[in-house]
Amino acid sequence: MANIPEVMSDTPTRDDDQTQQPDSQQPAAETPARSSYTDQQKYQVFNKEFMPHIDSMYNFAFRLTMDEDDANDLVQDTYLKAFRFISSFEQGTNAKAWLFRILKNSFINDYRKKSKEPAKVDYQDVETTYNSEDAEAEHTVDLRAETVSDLIGDEVATALNSLPVDFRTVIILCDIEGFTYEEMAKILDIPIGTVRSRLHRARNLLKEKLRDYASSMGYDEESDE
Amino acid sequence: MQTSLPSSSSSPDKPGMKHECGHRADCLKMIQLIVDGEATEQQLARLKDNLETCRPCIEMYHLEREVKELLTKRMEKRCCPDQLIETIKSKILTFS
Ligand SMILES: [Zn+2]
Repeated sequence: MANIPEVMSDTPTRDDDQTQQPDSQQPAAETPARSSYTDQQKYQVFNKEFMPHIDSMYNFAFRLTMDEDDANDLVQDTYLKAFRFISSFEQGTNAKAWLFRILKNSFINDYRKKSKEPAKVDYQDVETTYNSEDAEAEHTVDLRAETVSDLIGDEVATALNSLPVDFRTVIILCDIEGFTYEEMAKILDIPIGTVRSRLHRARNLLKEKLRDYASSMGYDEESDE
Repeated sequence: MQTSLPSSSSSPDKPGMKHECGHRADCLKMIQLIVDGEATEQQLARLKDNLETCRPCIEMYHLEREVKELLTKRMEKRCCPDQLIETIKSKILTFS
């Protein structure tokens, strides 16, 4: 009876944003139900609004957990939660952001605990340091655009994976998935200013990793002059 | 919006081009907003000026764009395994 269409291989990015509806897209499982769907409508919404994002969701899960089995479990948990809380999703609002927020919360609650990621304290230290005045000085990473253009996806993936998960997350959401700052603020439950500064810090860290990688591979010989 | 900005970092310097940027940290933050499509018209205009007159800003701009493009276009994208899609489909059928 539930007729789930084939999943699209390419997912929409900013085209599907609904920035003109600030509150209604809040993907909050804890908000009270706004709509009541019949069973048939539930399946329709699930198939039409949620399933098209499954490749993006899987990529997000895989980049967070860096493990295929964990990514599978995380995506499955997220979709089952999405179905269970489907009445708090308002049709026509940003389904992708809503789903990403559920996935991010499941990751924090269920997966992060058992992973070997450094504790959140470490990361907050980094962010506090960054936000303090003396961090203003270290802004320039000695890396040239020409060097970056020689790198391939695998090399970037390695650099990205070596970042602490919160920094990795903002880069995935912004650069890989194409979310706006406003959408990211909602997915991550942080103010827009924090999105901006975390992203800034994440990119500087990523550039440092790319620079180290490039110089270890001898890609950037001219920088030694 | 970015198409009107210079596309090559190796163009010869115009007379009066600065080789030191007095506001590197602020300029870099602004450049990232622009690359992300999150800048205001005012910030965009300011960067356009800087890209005419400030060599470090030109270089930062090209580096940020290059890094963004690497992430946007050159990362491998995986497809969700078919098996997982099947499992999800069958599990939600037993829900209500
Ligand atoms: Zn400048």
